[in-house]
Amino acid sequence: MAAYLHDIWRCRYFWLSLVQLDLRTRYRGSGLGVGWSLLRPLLMSAILCAVFHKLFEVDIRVYGPYLLIGFAGWNFLSSVTLDGCASFVQADAYIRQHRAPLAIYPLRTALGAAIHLLLALLIVLILMVGLHGIRPIPAMMVFAPGLGLLFLFGWAVATVAALVNVHFRDTQHLCDVGLQMLFYLTPVIYPAEILQQRGMGWLVQYNPLACFLELLRTPLIECRPPSSSAFGVAAIAVAIAGAAAILMLSRLQRRLVFYL
Amino acid sequence: MAHIRIDQADLTFRVRRHLRASFKDYVLRGLFRKSVNPVITVHALQNVSLDVREGERVGVLGHNGAGKSTLLKMIAGIYDPNGGVCDTNGRVSSLFDLTLGFEPDATGWENIAFRCYLQGETPRSVREKVDAIADFSGLGDHLDMPVRYYSAGMTVRLAFSIATAIDPEILLVDEVLAAGDAEFQERAAQRIEDMMAQARIMICASHDLASLQRLCNRAIWLEHGRIRLSGPCPDVVAAYCQSLAPESRAAA
Repeated sequence: MAAYLHDIWRCRYFWLSLVQLDLRTRYRGSGLGVGWSLLRPLLMSAILCAVFHKLFEVDIRVYGPYLLIGFAGWNFLSSVTLDGCASFVQADAYIRQHRAPLAIYPLRTALGAAIHLLLALLIVLILMVGLHGIRPIPAMMVFAPGLGLLFLFGWAVATVAALVNVHFRDTQHLCDVGLQMLFYLTPVIYPAEILQQRGMGWLVQYNPLACFLELLRTPLIECRPPSSSAFGVAAIAVAIAGAAAILMLSRLQRRLVFYL
Repeated sequence: MAHIRIDQADLTFRVRRHLRASFKDYVLRGLFRKSVNPVITVHALQNVSLDVREGERVGVLGHNGAGKSTLLKMIAGIYDPNGGVCDTNGRVSSLFDLTLGFEPDATGWENIAFRCYLQGETPRSVREKVDAIADFSGLGDHLDMPVRYYSAGMTVRLAFSIATAIDPEILLVDEVLAAGDAEFQERAAQRIEDMMAQARIMICASHDLASLQRLCNRAIWLEHGRIRLSGPCPDVVAAYCQSLAPESRAAA
């Protein structure tokens, strides 16, 4: 395990430069560049704010950032799953030519998604300062461990998705459908309180995806540490996904090249 | 101390007639009728034992599909044997499918960096080598262009220049002795021979028997994934040539 991590670290320049390249290729020739990844959630949030403000009379100054963080987190999760599926298939030319730890390819996907997540959170921070003035920075920084957990979860999910997709290429489409369903089960666009008021609080409490969002939202919006139960559920989710990724990788990596 | 030890290695892989089993194949055919996409088992290498020590230059001969490339990829650590042992000690550099693994949207310069990083270089060591690589490729200003727009010959030139810019302990060469135009080929041949001279161990698969005889001091002859003959290069090449001659084929 330690040796494997060391191998990953040893070829860091390779995967870091691939992440950099991915970002550049994705927005090649586009005028707005990476701005697109920020503009889309901003626009979606603006529209939803307008609608929900009328419907439920929510406070836009709280609900706006709530939505933005929700979209940022959700976009991260969906991109590690969907782009994660392609991690190995896309990198087959490298895998066929060089012996490198396979986990670097999902890592490349997860890092790319994480950069978009960080940019979106930066916008949220700026927005919060603009809407509410300077706030206690240390309290807000409690979102960092949540972000770390979310990243590890994303890396593990991308690894599992990539491994499954090599053997069963319909994975990406299945994940697409699955994510669509989870999107509505997770308080991304609606306030979590709505479910709690209707007696469906368990859906928020035990849904790891909802917990990841809470880990980001509570510190950034309310300036207080998130509940320990959210931390607990998120940590368990990371442990399960991580164990699945490690187990599958150790069993499948030796023969993987033959299935590409 | 560079050393390759292969002991009774077997390598089989299972492929399907179509690349992938579809969902339909999994469920419908699996349950109700015979699969139209059956699994085919390929015995790429069987019971191969080989011990290569420093200073040895091994040529690998055999017909197409005899397992030459598979053997090299197993030594490079890309394929793992199903049975037996394949131990490779030493920094490996492989010249296989040279044109694979370029990022088409990145420029030549950037691709030089990617390839070097993949071979374990650091930004500092790349900076030292990048000019020599650019120089050897002779691509000049074309390196500022995305590789997407390169001709096949230009891609090979770039790939070859990068792949040969490191000094490996173990060099694996698979039929890349012909690359680019005549002028480049001459320089490439020289470069390969220099590398082969420097590397502690060299293993080269080729159909070019003359150059194998010139470059190698030992040879193995693979047939259907098994080692048919192993020994000093001239003896093995002679035996291989004899088997190719029409008389012996008629006799057999």
